[in-house]
Amino acid sequence: MRFMVRRLALFAAALVGLSLLVFVVLRVLPGDVAAVMAGTNATPERIVSLRAQMGLDRSYAAQYLDWADGLFHGDLGTSAIGGKSVASQVGTRAGVTFPLIVLSLLIALAIGLPLGCAAVLTRNERLRGVFHVVAIVGGAVPALWSGLLLILLFARGVGLFGVFPSQGFPADGWSNPGQALMALVLPALATGLTAGAGLMRYTRAALGEAASNSAVDMAMACGMTRVQALLRVGLRLALPQLVSVFGLMFAQMITGVMVIESLFALPGLGAMLVTDVGNRDLLAVQSELFLLAAFFLLLGLLVDLAHRVLDPRFKTARSREVG
Amino acid sequence: MSVEIRNLNITIGSKPIVHDIDMDIADGERVGLVGSSGSGKSMIAKALMGLLPANASADGSVRAGGAQLIGANDTDMADLRGRYMGMVFQNPAAALNPVTTVAQQVELPLRLHYDLSAPERQERVKTMLSKVGLPESALGKYPHELSGGQAQRVGIATALITSPRLIIADEPTTALDAITQRQIVDLLTSLVDDAGASMLFITHDFAVLARATTRCYVLEDGAMVESGATADLLDHPHTEQARKLVAAARELTLHRQEAEVHHG
Amino acid sequence: MATLRVTLRVILRSMWRRAGGRYSLIVLGLWVLVSLVSLVWTPYSLLATDGFHVWSKPSAAHPLGTDGVGADVLSWLMAGSRTNLIIAALSVIVAAAFGLLLVAAMVSRHGALSAVSVVLVDALISVPTVLVALILCVPFGASAAVIVAACGFAYGLNLARILRPSAMLAARSAYVQSALHSGMPAARVFLTHIVPNTLPVLVVQLSMSAGTSILAEAGLTYLGIGVGAGVPSWGHSLATSVKFVGIYPLTVLWPGLVVTAVVVALNLLGDALRDAADPLANPALRGGQDER
Repeated sequence: MRFMVRRLALFAAALVGLSLLVFVVLRVLPGDVAAVMAGTNATPERIVSLRAQMGLDRSYAAQYLDWADGLFHGDLGTSAIGGKSVASQVGTRAGVTFPLIVLSLLIALAIGLPLGCAAVLTRNERLRGVFHVVAIVGGAVPALWSGLLLILLFARGVGLFGVFPSQGFPADGWSNPGQALMALVLPALATGLTAGAGLMRYTRAALGEAASNSAVDMAMACGMTRVQALLRVGLRLALPQLVSVFGLMFAQMITGVMVIESLFALPGLGAMLVTDVGNRDLLAVQSELFLLAAFFLLLGLLVDLAHRVLDPRFKTARSREVG
Repeated sequence: MSVEIRNLNITIGSKPIVHDIDMDIADGERVGLVGSSGSGKSMIAKALMGLLPANASADGSVRAGGAQLIGANDTDMADLRGRYMGMVFQNPAAALNPVTTVAQQVELPLRLHYDLSAPERQERVKTMLSKVGLPESALGKYPHELSGGQAQRVGIATALITSPRLIIADEPTTALDAITQRQIVDLLTSLVDDAGASMLFITHDFAVLARATTRCYVLEDGAMVESGATADLLDHPHTEQARKLVAAARELTLHRQEAEVHHG
Repeated sequence: MATLRVTLRVILRSMWRRAGGRYSLIVLGLWVLVSLVSLVWTPYSLLATDGFHVWSKPSAAHPLGTDGVGADVLSWLMAGSRTNLIIAALSVIVAAAFGLLLVAAMVSRHGALSAVSVVLVDALISVPTVLVALILCVPFGASAAVIVAACGFAYGLNLARILRPSAMLAARSAYVQSALHSGMPAARVFLTHIVPNTLPVLVVQLSMSAGTSILAEAGLTYLGIGVGAGVPSWGHSLATSVKFVGIYPLTVLWPGLVVTAVVVALNLLGDALRDAADPLANPALRGGQDER
């Protein structure tokens, strides 16, 4: 319980720190956003008026407090360019990105976990070598490229086997779930395959390490076969480590997800962020960056909590101090 | 259960670990296997249990209760392990699964081999715990909440819950302090005798050896150098290696007694 | 100096003996060689375009074909290799410097400093490279420096987190304590006694980071927040061919193959180096040395 309180306090502090960081970096680093936004041949007056319009002429403290107050009330500000509310934009686009991420992770799990286990379980040296090569090559393919290859193989119109739509997302979103899902299959495969190779590598390493744990020997001595002992005891012992990796994979995947959204012309968060950064839409960008970074902090928090749940040594850490 | 080992060779990679080992354990006999660390004792135990690492290979003959264990597949070995053969490990703190409770740990061999209802299993676990001298309150505890001696009692309870015919104890007391060592050795030998099982007791400590076994083998650099009644061997070691081992063990025992006097 | 050269030769030779090590040495050697050559010579000038031969198939004149403006694909890939070499090298240097600085803070005897740095690393570790690049991109615009800064930052954090246990172990050891007692400055103790202990992990991580920086360059450049327009890089080659993938699929093959081959080599390099440079795993290194 004390841990929970401490960890939540840390999370809150990190959120505040993060908002400050995003704000300060975007303000203090050289480069005048208003000047960039106005274009190369803008008059000085135009730049000044733009700055006033964006609220950039006020003191930093006033700007920050205004923004933070908005964040606190769920107001993420308005985009300087489209004039739309950032919150509503983020909301609709999350409906594309999150299913994409979840699908990718499921694919990564479905590939990486069994293959990683198989690489440890097999006693065949040659097969072990094959697994090693698959893991290393799979993790070295740029997401952009695997996406392209998938388009060339499976996309309607251009691919060898036209099964899935090559680009875009249904305009009416998830009102036709089948269609929406079909649009996400190839993008999710593109990011999921690479992530799966990474997960396979980590699973192999973690399970391989657990295999030399004498608790696995003990389970075998109780009557399990080697395979049983590795899967039931070894994998369980490797689980906390794998959960950490899984959390970090989320973070690493986001680069791939942005690329893939752009490649497949999906109207997701990544595409929005890239567009807004390209437009130097400062107010939108700072809220979006904060939101995304906050999401990753939350992920870190969840991973830490999962760790606690998975390892009884944490649960009873206090009773050990007493007894 | 009797054990008959003939011409056993174990190699890891291309490196020979033990060679031309002959050993016998009669039904109900407690036999010791001594040798300095790195002499290959543990590998013999692992070969008996079918726990050799993936890169190790064994040839020769190992028969337990008449069944040939060399070349047996893992499923058949798993059926023997925990049912007819139990093992007590060197470092209980590491061998006990850190995420299971004492109750779950001790009942594991029962779950794997016998079709019992949960209350029946629980009843047997409770009886077993009282036999090894642990209170019922230990049932829900995790390994990290136990002392070294308590953890080894759990290890012994796990090894013995199915009343196996052969117990292999691989340096079961090395990780414990001297007083706990004696308690654990006495507990183990009395339980093994009560069950009428055989035991292979592996150690490098002659003081422990004398308490636990009646006959023993001396292993040095992967080869068997001497065997005989434990008491004889301790008094009149024949070979140079055995003499050195005994002398070293004496010295160690003396030092430890001194240390105990100082600390006690 | 002579002994260092001997050690280096022993390490290289034992790397060469294994398939993975040999592959990585060959590919990385080629990479450096091509980068150097591209400084003085490429088959065609990068600016040479040929409106009559756009998207041409591989031929004797253009071994890998041409792109949408008729520029030679091979020349651009060759020139791109030097950009990626520089980005990878700088990312690794920045990551190593930043990471080791964080490790130093985490193992320092200054309680508050180590606590703050541990919390900082834990909190920031889950912030992905692309976010850092996006933040930096707003004031600075897209450039190779942004890639290096973002990669160096993210990989440095990762490095710090991974090195911490072994550094912690070394910091608590008797020889570090005695070195501190004998009055050696803490910074020197860190560099001479603690860093060498983390070396096996450090080497593996850094070579993998070099590989990841290449993947990051490809992704970021495609998103328009990587190297600027007109700068040759593998990501640039990949990105330019992407738009026409439906019509000219072949051109997209080459940059992807190059990137994959090099990233694989970098991933293998770390493992090979670690195995070859580890006296426990490589008996050749123990040769003349006294064991005690």
